[in-house]
Amino acid sequence: MRILLRWAVRLYPVTWRNRYGAEFDALLEDISPSFGDVCDVFGAALRARLTPPSYPSLAAATGSSMALRMPVVVSLTAHALMLVFVLAAAVHYVTPAPPHAFVAPVPPPTPEPPPTVTDARVFPNAWTLYSSLPLIPNNDNVMPLYVAHGVGINFLPLPDIGALYQRGEAQWRVWPGQALESFIIRRVLPEYPRNVETQGAVSVFVEYLIRRDGTVKVLRSAGPTPFTNAARWAIEQWIYRPLGYEDRGCQVLSRVEVRFDNAFAQDGLN
Amino acid sequence: MSDPTILILASLAEGDKHGYAIMEDIQVFAGVRLGPGTLYGAITRLEERGWIRAVKTESRRQPYRITAEGSLELKRQLALFGQVVRTGNRRLKEA
Repeated sequence: MRILLRWAVRLYPVTWRNRYGAEFDALLEDISPSFGDVCDVFGAALRARLTPPSYPSLAAATGSSMALRMPVVVSLTAHALMLVFVLAAAVHYVTPAPPHAFVAPVPPPTPEPPPTVTDARVFPNAWTLYSSLPLIPNNDNVMPLYVAHGVGINFLPLPDIGALYQRGEAQWRVWPGQALESFIIRRVLPEYPRNVETQGAVSVFVEYLIRRDGTVKVLRSAGPTPFTNAARWAIEQWIYRPLGYEDRGCQVLSRVEVRFDNAFAQDGLN
Repeated sequence: MSDPTILILASLAEGDKHGYAIMEDIQVFAGVRLGPGTLYGAITRLEERGWIRAVKTESRRQPYRITAEGSLELKRQLALFGQVVRTGNRRLKEA
């Protein structure tokens, strides 16, 4: 402890030590120094460094007080800055970085599986669904009619779209055919009836019901018999995903026009 | 009353003393132990102000003596403290 005191005394300015050094050493020999005394001497030495002496003899001895204090001030400032940087670096080093919460990347949503290709004539490939098929000229009142090998499906504009029919316990809600396209899983196009000689186009209108399990039941149809049978047989093989309305399963009623065109059928067969 | 300059002046009012004697005396009459740095910082200021002066001696232990200006300053400070003490005591009785 006494060694520390001796070292602390050296921090006093030379002029102060020249004036008070001998008696201060004598005082330190008389006392039993403690750590508090070391801190006391250290602080007093710094104050003596930073405080210009006003005592005439000391001021005269030191000459320019600013010239004496400037190196000390610069040194203390530099050391203080270094201490700040070291402490900052230590805190930054010791303090563990906040754990980055590992968040697994959200997997991209599973794309909707393409509809099962059940009829190569309708779905030559999934990317050119319908578009590669020949298009029959239509008028303004009907939806575009897509035809493959002379047979096409036309989605009719339904006047009772959205209506709810109740028959006993069963409820049927009317949806247009084009709105059901995103739910269809399996579609079979009607075959053009063979050995039937008809000129021009023949339309068959079919009203069908999609059950809760997605299967289809034809309710009624209108048109020439061989064409009606072909349309009913094909449409009853359609399968939809189960449909719902307001989070409840429901049965859906829809209507389509199946158009048979002999000219296109001949082209397709060729 | 813990101002070391006043304590040193009060100690020297009794007679000349060197640093260690001042420290011991203050501890006895005021119950305050001045550190060596504090003691000699105050001695330096008192000497700068002319309130004490060093007495010539051959010893390493330098004695100090209070000057007339120091005695005047001590009286002024003690009068001020006395006024504070009287006021405090009177207000304590009134409370």
